[in-house]
Amino acid sequence: MTDDDDLRARLRRADPAASLEPASPDQVAHLVEEAMSRTTRRWALPVAAALILIAGGTAWAVTRPATPEPVAAPTPSASASASASGTVVLFSTGIQAKCREPEPQRLAESADFAFEGTVQKIENGRVTLTVSRTFRGGAVGTVEVAQEGESSEQMLGSGKFEMGRDYLVAAADDTVMICGYSGEADSIGLRDLYEAAF
Amino acid sequence: MNSDARRARFERLAPAVIDAVRRYLARRTDPATADDVLSETLLICWRRLDDMPEEHLPWAYGVARNCLANAERGQRRHVRLLARISRLDPPPATVDGPGPPDGDLERALRSLTAKEAEILRLWAWEDLAPAGIAVVLGISANAASIRLHRAKEKLRKTLTSSGHEESTEGSRP
Repeated sequence: MTDDDDLRARLRRADPAASLEPASPDQVAHLVEEAMSRTTRRWALPVAAALILIAGGTAWAVTRPATPEPVAAPTPSASASASASGTVVLFSTGIQAKCREPEPQRLAESADFAFEGTVQKIENGRVTLTVSRTFRGGAVGTVEVAQEGESSEQMLGSGKFEMGRDYLVAAADDTVMICGYSGEADSIGLRDLYEAAF
Repeated sequence: MNSDARRARFERLAPAVIDAVRRYLARRTDPATADDVLSETLLICWRRLDDMPEEHLPWAYGVARNCLANAERGQRRHVRLLARISRLDPPPATVDGPGPPDGDLERALRSLTAKEAEILRLWAWEDLAPAGIAVVLGISANAASIRLHRAKEKLRKTLTSSGHEESTEGSRP
C-alpha cells in the first residue's frame, strides 16, 4: 500500500499542528487541576444568584407547595423590591460544599421550578430570559436572574449568562441549582438530564 | 471507583489527552477557541471518566469534536463581530511550521466534501485507523473503512488531475 503511504506523508507535511510546541508540564498540571476542580470546587462557590419571576411568577408562588424557610434570609433591599413590585425573589444559598455527578432523580426530586429560556437582555448585572418551555412550575413569561460579576461559574457551557443564548435553568427551594443542573441548553448531556427528570 | 482512584486515573490519562486534543484543535480552529474547547473537553472527560473506554483518544477526539461544534454554533451568531476582529487583529498564519505550503493539496482537500476531508485528516493527522475514526464520528467501523477508502481515491484523483493542469506552477514539490 505504498500509494497510501505517499498520500499520508503528503497530508502530514501539510499538518498545521506539526510545529505546535508540546504543552509545558505546568500548563498540563493547570489544565488537569482546572478540570477536576470545576466540578468540585469552583462550581460550588456561593453565587449570589437571585431569580425574580415576573409575569405569572406571583401566581406560581401562591399555588406552589409550602417550602421551608430559605437558609439565607433575603437581604432588605431584595425583600423591599419584592414587596414593591409583587414579584418573587429567589436566592442561591451556596450550601452545597461539593458537587456530585448530576442525576435525573435528584433533579426531579429537588427542582420546584425548571425552564428553558433565551437571554434577551443583560443590564446592570440583571439578566432577563424569555421562557420558551417550562419543565416544572407554573407558566412564566419572563425570568430575571441577578448575575454577579463577569466570572461566576454557575452555568454549564459558557459559565454565565450570555446574550442571545439558550439556557436550561432549574431552581430548588428558592435557589438556582448549579453543579451541572443549570447551563447552556446545548451543553452535552444537560437536555438529556432534563428530559429524563421531567 | 472512589474519588482518589478516580483522580489518579484522570491524572494518568490527562497528559496524553491534552497533547492529542491540543493538536486536534490547533488543526481545526483559532488559538482562543482551541483553549476554550480544550478546557471544556477536559471537564467533560473528567465528569464522564467512567464512560471513557480503554482506547481513550478517539473517544476524547469525539468529545472535542462536539465541543468545537457547539463553540462554533455560538460563534456563528457573532460572525460579523468576529469578521471585524479578524480584520483588526489577524490571527497568525498556520503555515509557519510545516514545509512549503502545498497549494495543490489544499485545493484538492477543499474540493472534497467536509466529511471526506475530515476523514482524511483523522487518518493522516490524528493517525487513526478506521475503528478509531468510527468512534470519533459516531459511525460503524465498516462505514468508516468504506468512506476512508473512497475519500483517499477521490483525493488521489483530484491531485492527479490538478497536477496535470497546473504543472507549470513553481510551488509543487
